Formats: sequence, C-alpha cells, structure tokens
Amino acid sequence: MNQTIRGFIKKEFIQVFRDKRMLVLLFIAPIIQLTLFGYAISNEVRNIRLAVQFQPGDSMARHIEERALASGWFVPATGEGDPFVLVQSGRAEVVLVAPPKGLTTALRSGGGEIQVLLDATNMIRARGIEQYLQAIIWEVLAGEFPQQDLKPVLNINTRVLYNPAMKTSYFLVPGVMVVLMCLLTVIMTSMSIVREREIGTFETLVTAPVRNWEILLGKTLPFVILALVQVTLILIAAVLIFGLPMQSPLWKFYLAAFMFICTTVAIGTMISTMSRTQQQAMMGSFLFMFPGILLSGMMFPLENMPKAIMGIAYLNPLKYFLTLLRNILLKGGDDWVFWSNLGALALLAVVAMAFSFNRFKQTLN
Amino acid sequence: MSKAPPLVVDVQDLTIRFGSFVAVNRISFSVKQGEIFGFLGANGAGKTTTIRMLCGLLIPNEGEAYISGISIHQDVQAIKTKVGYMSQHFTLYNDLTVAENLAFAADLRKLEETALEKRKKELFQFVDFTYPEKILVKNLPGGVKQQISLATAILHDPDIIFLDEPTAGVAPLVRAKFWKLINKLARAGKTVFVTTHYLDEAEQCDRIALMRDGEIIALDTPKKLKQKTFPEPLLEIEPPLGASRSWMDKLKVDPKIAVIQAYGRRYHVLVKNGKEWKKISRKLPRDYLLRKIQPSLEDVFIRQVEGDPA
Ligand SMILES: Nc1ncnc2c1ncn2[C@@H]1O[C@H](COP(=O)(O)OP(=O)(O)OP(=O)(O)O)[C@@H](O)[C@H]1O
Ligand SMILES: [Mg+2]
Repeated sequence: MNQTIRGFIKKEFIQVFRDKRMLVLLFIAPIIQLTLFGYAISNEVRNIRLAVQFQPGDSMARHIEERALASGWFVPATGEGDPFVLVQSGRAEVVLVAPPKGLTTALRSGGGEIQVLLDATNMIRARGIEQYLQAIIWEVLAGEFPQQDLKPVLNINTRVLYNPAMKTSYFLVPGVMVVLMCLLTVIMTSMSIVREREIGTFETLVTAPVRNWEILLGKTLPFVILALVQVTLILIAAVLIFGLPMQSPLWKFYLAAFMFICTTVAIGTMISTMSRTQQQAMMGSFLFMFPGILLSGMMFPLENMPKAIMGIAYLNPLKYFLTLLRNILLKGGDDWVFWSNLGALALLAVVAMAFSFNRFKQTLN
Repeated sequence: MSKAPPLVVDVQDLTIRFGSFVAVNRISFSVKQGEIFGFLGANGAGKTTTIRMLCGLLIPNEGEAYISGISIHQDVQAIKTKVGYMSQHFTLYNDLTVAENLAFAADLRKLEETALEKRKKELFQFVDFTYPEKILVKNLPGGVKQQISLATAILHDPDIIFLDEPTAGVAPLVRAKFWKLINKLARAGKTVFVTTHYLDEAEQCDRIALMRDGEIIALDTPKKLKQKTFPEPLLEIEPPLGASRSWMDKLKVDPKIAVIQAYGRRYHVLVKNGKEWKKISRKLPRDYLLRKIQPSLEDVFIRQVEGDPA
C-alpha cells in the first residue's frame, strides 16, 4: 500500500485510540444505545397487555382470562375491537380469540381452535408471553376436563405479528445501525478534516508533495475501517441481545455496509470542504442527518409523503441502507431489492466522492 | 573570483489579492544559494502570504516565481520536494509523540524507514534534542517544540528552508540558540528564508527585505540599508548628568541643517548640512559629549516603515 496512506491510517488510529472519549464514543456508546433501545422493553416479561375475546357465556374462555390476570404476568389490555388493530396500535401485546361458537361448546363437540395474536417485535418477550399463555390455557383446560387429553383436539393457532410502528427492539436494529453508522462516518470524517485546518496541521499535510487523492483517501480510509469494526460490533450485539435473525449471508451485509460507509464518508468530506470550523462541520453534519433520518422510512413510511418529499428521499443514502438492512437482517432473500438498493447507494457514493474530490483543494485561500 | 552562486528563489511582480484586498503587491526579489534572507515587516505586511505562495500553498493572481528554477505555476509538487517550510503557526500534532510526528512527516514524503531513523539521529543532534522521542509533543516546552518543528520541516533535507517567525514568543536565550542553527544551515549550503519581528535577528541576515502593506520598500544588506537610509552622518549628543533640558530645547536648529530628536536623555542629530552644523556645534557647552554613531536597524526600520522620524 502507498506509504502516505499507510502513514495516515497509523496516525489516525493512534489519535483515536489515545483519546479515551473517542473510544467510548466509538465502541461503547453504540452498544449501550442499542441495548437501551431494546432492553427497556424487552427485559422483564411482566405487565403483558392481554385481551381475550369471547362470546358472552363462554365460561372456559373467561376462566382462562381470569387465570391469566391472576397470575400476575398479565394486565388487561385497554380497548376492544379488531384484534389486529389492537396489536398494531400497541394497546395489546397479545390477543386471544376464542372460537366463534365458544370454547366450551367447541371442546364439547370434539375440537376447536384458539387464535393467539402475538406482538413479536421483541423476540425474547414474545417467546416468554407465548409460553406463559400456553401454560395457563392447558392448566385451565386440564382442570375442566381432568379425564381427557385435549392436546389432539385443541389447536392453538399462534399468529406472530410485528409492530409496524416499530416500537421495539429488533425491528429497530436496522434503524439504530443506520443512525449510528451515519453519526460516526459523517461527523467524524468532516470534523477530522476540518480539525486539521483549525489546529494548523493541514499546512503540514499540504506542504508535503502529496496528491489530493492521497490526502482524501488517507483521511477517510481510517474511518471506513473503524466504521466496519463498529458495524460488526453492533451486529454481534444485535444477534446476542435481541436474537436478530440475520436472514442473509454475511457478505451481503458487509457489501451493503461498505457501500453505505463509502457514501457517508464522502458526504463527510464534502461537508468538510464547506466548513471552516469544527462547529460548522458538526452543524453541517446534522443538517444532513436530520432530514436523512426523517426521510429514511425509519419512523414513518415514505409512501404516504408528498411527491416532492419523495423525490428528495430518492437522494437519501439512509433510505437505501435501511431498506437493505431490513431486507438482509429481517426478511432475507429478495435479490432485486438487494441489488437495486445497492446500486442506488453505489451511485450516490460515486457522485459524493466525485463532488468532494472536485471541491478539495490543497491551497489555503 | 568564484562563480556567483545560483539564484534559488527568483520572484518577479508577484501579486495576490483576497477579494479586493491586495495582500502582496508586485514584489520582486531574488535569493542566492546559501544566503540567509530576512523578511521584515509589521503585522499584516504580507510576509506569510509571500512565503505561502513560494511554497505552493497559495496561488498568486499575477507574477512569477521560480524556486530552484521551477516555476510555481508549473510544478508545485516538485517545488514541495525542494523546500522545507516551518509555519508561523504550530503545526505539529500535540497528541502524537515526537517520534510519531516525525514518522508521519516521513510517510507524507515517502521517506523510507531506515532513512528516517538515520535522519532522525542527525536532526536530534543538530537541534540538540535531549528528551526521549516517545514524549508527547504537548508535554514539551515551547522552545523545544520549535526545535522539533524545525526538525520536521527539514526532515527531507531540503535545499531551501522557509522559516516563518520561528522564534516568535520564545525566550531570548532560546532565540539565540535557534539562530545558531540557522547559521549552521546556511554554512551547510542551505538557503534560509526567514521572517522575524526582532531587529537584532535581522542584523544576522545576509540581506533583508522590508515589507510594508504588501510591498517591498527596501532590500539590501543590513549595512547598506543603514547607509542608504542614513546617508548623512548620525550624531549623538549626551548632556551631562543633571543638565536641564532647556539648553537643548532652546537650541532651535533649522531642519535644513540638522534634525534633532530626543532619545531618552540623549539626542540624535541627523546632519543635513555639515558646514552650517559645524558652526552650531561649536556653541555646545564643553561638558556635552558629541559623538558619531552607527544607526541601528531599528532606526532604519522606523524611518522606512513608519515614515521619517524627524
Ligand atoms: N486567506 C486569506 N484571506 C483573506 N485575507 C488574508 C488571507 N491571508 C492573509 N490575509 C491578509 O493578508 C494580509 C497579509 O497577511 P500575512 O499573514 O501575510 O501578514 P504577515 O506579514 O505574515 O503578518 P504577521 O507578522 O502578523 O504574521 C493581512 O492583512 C491578512 O489579514
Ligand atoms: Mg505572518
């Protein structure tokens, strides 16, 4: 490798690893943030909001509800109505729907089905809820029909739903990952270049016979490497803590992450060419990131937005990376989604790099 | 006589504007190899700006400059290999050690590691650096930081060295030491281009250029500058201790004959008309000492840059 670029990488790494605050910011903070996002909701499987829907007079279903509430794990959900809506709106985490003719009647007449709708945005919690609920159901039924094995005749049909409003953990992982990667790459890159200008060391760089691309690559490559390390840490944490399914091969994940990092690092460089001070670089970074996050589809679906805003969203690298991550981590599979979004990211990366390369000057004017 | 040393810096009508402000206005000069060339001027005169243009860090609007025969419009990269530049601002990394700073500078210039180690030893000896090289730069005293800045600037053993106020804000003793280094460099055949605010330092230059408002208003050896600025003899009158001012104050002399100016207890007399002045000086009481003096560079500077003191 080019000695100058190697020198830059060495120097940046020494500076980052010598700065305790930077280390915390880089490696500890993301894990804490990720954990906080999810764990606040996931840890204690208590106060589960339960709704049981049954016909009046269905004593067995009522029995199950009473038993569940008495267990201390469940609390009654607020509101009634369509079980899907209850879960989607977050008013209930689990809805138990008795058969239309009543559970008592159904079992007496030889068989039936209980539907369980479960909010599984948080895997760990959802598993817990399912187990508790099944235990309670079988316990109640065993009390009612002591002589009969009901297992063959009763079908508990659990439907796992996720919460599209994304209130909880692992569905949130792609979003958190996008935000954290963006923070690191855009802010760190832009500030790091401007910092050299501010403290005067930029003069040292440009006094040497170095090429523009050597300075640019030298100043950005360390952050690409750091960002790849960081994304790995976040991924491991997400898998270990939230049971993130990781539906696709790793190379897809890293290819997408690399492409995104290239784009954001180039944008950071671009911001640095337009800022004189570190504060300006910080402001510039946020000026990019706020709309970037808002228009990524992380919080509200983009489909419902006005056309003009949709247009801007097409220039948003965060949107593509989020789509990629959701695809790669949660759903798995769709090749068209993967390659088209990756292509869009690559295009943005090239444009941003060309722009910042063009704007970058070795003179001090 | 030996051949005249080649011109290593040759500047013609160099001009740079920042917006409508002309920071450097059509300056021309040249520097010979092995010379210590001083740049003198008040704050904002354009010294740093000139150096930056000569190092390829600023692009002039007009004019031409050749460094070692290479035009600054032609091949800035080649110039950068030939010159060493120590900025007026501190440009080392405070959070890196001395060794790390030098290693990075070497990587920037693609110096091999063995070459670096050898050069480092030479330079540490040259600047008399006695701290461990693993010390963080921020923990060094100011004067030592300047030594390391110099070492970094000349790491690649350049032929031309630009030093922009290398001794600003350091103790007098350290300044003297630093000038010994500058002299050593010049003796080794290096061309040293140095800016300073200190006039005693300027005395040590082979030639100096005085800058005011982006223009060079005088350029010569210190000796010739003094002669040129003060072609007439400069005298000093020292009244006896306890003498009242009134005698000298009463001595009204036509400025066409001589200009008299108080200098503390003493008076400086710039003689314009020797014959007439002789007549006046005879009237001087016997205990008033009258002697011929050499103007200092400060006199020159004041006269040239801030206008006629008389
Ligand atoms: N990049 C720039 N943009 C605008 N004006 C500038 C720029 N650089 C320098 N100047 C102006 O040009 C003038 C000359 O500045 P310069 O730094 O060359 O002076 P100097 O002689 O080195 O002064 P000092 O002794 O303070 O270092 C100053 O008025 C300064 O404000
Ligand atoms: Mg200056």
